[in-house]
Amino acid sequence: MSSSSSPDIRRWYVIAAPYLWLLIFFLIPFFVVFKLSLSDVATAIPPYTPIFSWSTGIWEFFSQLDFENYTFIFGDPLYINAYFSSVKIAAVATFLTLLVAYPMAYGMARAPKAWQPTLMMLVILPFWTSFLIRIYAWIAILKPEGFATLFLTKLGIISEPLQIMNTTTAVYIGIVYSYLPFMLLPLYASLEKINPSLLEAAQDLGSRPWRSFWQVTFPLSLPGVFAGCLLVFIPAVGEFVIPDLLGGSDTLMIGKTLWTEFFNNRDWPLASAVAVLLLFVLIVPIVIFQRQQQLEREAGR
Amino acid sequence: MTVATASQSTPTLTPRAGPRTAAPQSGFAPWNDPKKPPIVRFEGITKRFDDFVAVKNITLDIYEREFFALLGPSGCGKSTLLRMLGGFEKPTEGKIIVAGQDITDMPPYDRPVNMMFQSYALFPHMTVEGNIGFGLRQEGMPKDKIAERVDEAMGMLELRQFAKRKPNQLSGGQQQRVALARAIAKKPRIVLLDEPLGALDKKLRQQAQFELMRIQETTGTTFIIVTHDQEEAMTVASRIAVMDKGDLVQVATPGDIYENPKTRYISGFIGDVNLFEGKVSAVADGCVEIESTEGSKLKTRSAEPVSVGQQVWLALRPEKIRISHDQPSSTVNAIPGKVEDIGYLGSISHYHVRTAGGQRITALRANAAHAVERSISWEDSVWLDWPVDAGVVLTR
Ligand SMILES: Nc1ncnc2c1ncn2[C@@H]1O[C@H](COP(=O)(O)OP(=O)(O)OP(=O)(O)O)[C@@H](O)[C@H]1O
Ligand SMILES: [Mg+2]
Repeated sequence: MSSSSSPDIRRWYVIAAPYLWLLIFFLIPFFVVFKLSLSDVATAIPPYTPIFSWSTGIWEFFSQLDFENYTFIFGDPLYINAYFSSVKIAAVATFLTLLVAYPMAYGMARAPKAWQPTLMMLVILPFWTSFLIRIYAWIAILKPEGFATLFLTKLGIISEPLQIMNTTTAVYIGIVYSYLPFMLLPLYASLEKINPSLLEAAQDLGSRPWRSFWQVTFPLSLPGVFAGCLLVFIPAVGEFVIPDLLGGSDTLMIGKTLWTEFFNNRDWPLASAVAVLLLFVLIVPIVIFQRQQQLEREAGR
Repeated sequence: MTVATASQSTPTLTPRAGPRTAAPQSGFAPWNDPKKPPIVRFEGITKRFDDFVAVKNITLDIYEREFFALLGPSGCGKSTLLRMLGGFEKPTEGKIIVAGQDITDMPPYDRPVNMMFQSYALFPHMTVEGNIGFGLRQEGMPKDKIAERVDEAMGMLELRQFAKRKPNQLSGGQQQRVALARAIAKKPRIVLLDEPLGALDKKLRQQAQFELMRIQETTGTTFIIVTHDQEEAMTVASRIAVMDKGDLVQVATPGDIYENPKTRYISGFIGDVNLFEGKVSAVADGCVEIESTEGSKLKTRSAEPVSVGQQVWLALRPEKIRISHDQPSSTVNAIPGKVEDIGYLGSISHYHVRTAGGQRITALRANAAHAVERSISWEDSVWLDWPVDAGVVLTR
């Protein structure tokens, strides 16, 4: 009967929609990339083989796929180092972002209620400018004859030009700056939720302000710390633009390696293998992030 | 015909006579002893928030082992007064002295008081044990000693089986007991309670009131409780301070507040009361004669200094009024009227009587004691009378 079946079907659409979305925009592209990673490089357009065609048949097609690119990656310390280096740079940058964002988020959460939307606006405002332009602006600031050198020389703090540009330090600065809101917003959300009377209770029971911070405020902000760290760490591992524009030759990051393979060496299959492995590197933190979000949803009920 | 209603008011507001649980010694009245030093002294305390005066020049002494209640309507400043003692608000003017020491500028973590917060403010990331032991851990007490004290507090409040639970796994009543256990775990000299039972339903609240009294008695601590529930204040307190718009209106024992309210506001705030408005027509032999606007002559013994012609009110509790069919022999304080409404409450009945002058008066009669008399019913013409020492003359 149409009257009873049509709402049923509509419900199925609603349930299926996100899965369909995942299928079209995530799973299918992933399999395309995965297939590419099993292919071989070729001087052709597109620059790889095999390409499936009905004339050669499906078995012929599959027999040409192999894990050669993966063995190559695992055999070459360049790639392994790039993965480790990316994870390390991302981890350090995440920690630095946390150090910068925590006091800011704390200040925002403690500011008078009327100010908070304005402060939030100030945090989000830079996002209205293109990401690339903001990174280029950092080049202008950090280069030896840039604004930072000028400013610090005027203040008499340094006499030599700053040698930050094209170093890993510049990459850290770039990541901390670019990803700050991703850290700040979840931190602010968890700090703002803390009932002020909990701190009064802690002090009432004899805990000095600094101790009550570590005993009450910080543990209660941990969900925000976790969420913020993962939101920064996950994209930072695969970051390409920042190390490319601000980092030097000594900054080894997997995103840069991938780009080089893809565009400079036109080795799409190898680049795809690098990308697939990057995904595996990130699966652990992503799963942690998902579980943590789940736990928090459950606790919030 | 009017129908009897049992819901008009409950008769439970009369204060308990005799020795109270909160003040076990029958003669417990340190406030009457001029030599006894108070444990808490508010000295001319004023608190302003910008232009708004929340607490107005309050001077108040509270004594050791008292169960002291701050009572008043919402927004009258009772929480503010308590929070100043806890150290969470700074008085704009005045001094707070605890056990002889000026603590006005002392931060909360150094004060010898512990507070039980209205919302309980339990630490959500700690277990029941962790919450109760929090204050003890701040003192650097050895672990086994902490465990002992936590266990003692949990035993006192029947919380042992919940030791490992987090606050969100507890019912409201259990959370309330954890909050209380946490406030007493450090054995402070003074425990502050801001509407500690406000979130509980009526039945649980009564149970919790007796629990509070038991804890207060067994620990021998001074309790200062904020409440806007007069019944609660009457039940638990050794003395009550009634506040109104930042002022202290009266500080007295529950019995005194009930029998000798200082103002019309207080007389109506605690229990039921009949108020006769009138002018003083004569003052003689410690008695005041009042010509009431309703048309009768009322005579009352009063120590209140009043002058002839002054506007006053006579406050009269319903249970002090005798109601009968027969005209009393005395003509003083005898008013005829007609029964309009009867509230039958089992052991007692409320009679709502309209006087000739149009005033509605409530009288109360115990049903058993008068079983032999002719029962009073609606529309009956009756006489109300009371002795000269039954009422209180109020000038405000
Ligand atoms: N931080 C503050 N800033 C401004 N005004 C305040 C502040 N705290 C309290 N007040 C005002 O002071 C008055 C007294 O507040 P308080 O909390 O002491 O009331 P209360 O008697 O405890 O009332 P309730 O029974 O509703 O808790 C209120 O009018 C309140 O609006
Ligand atoms: Mg209050």
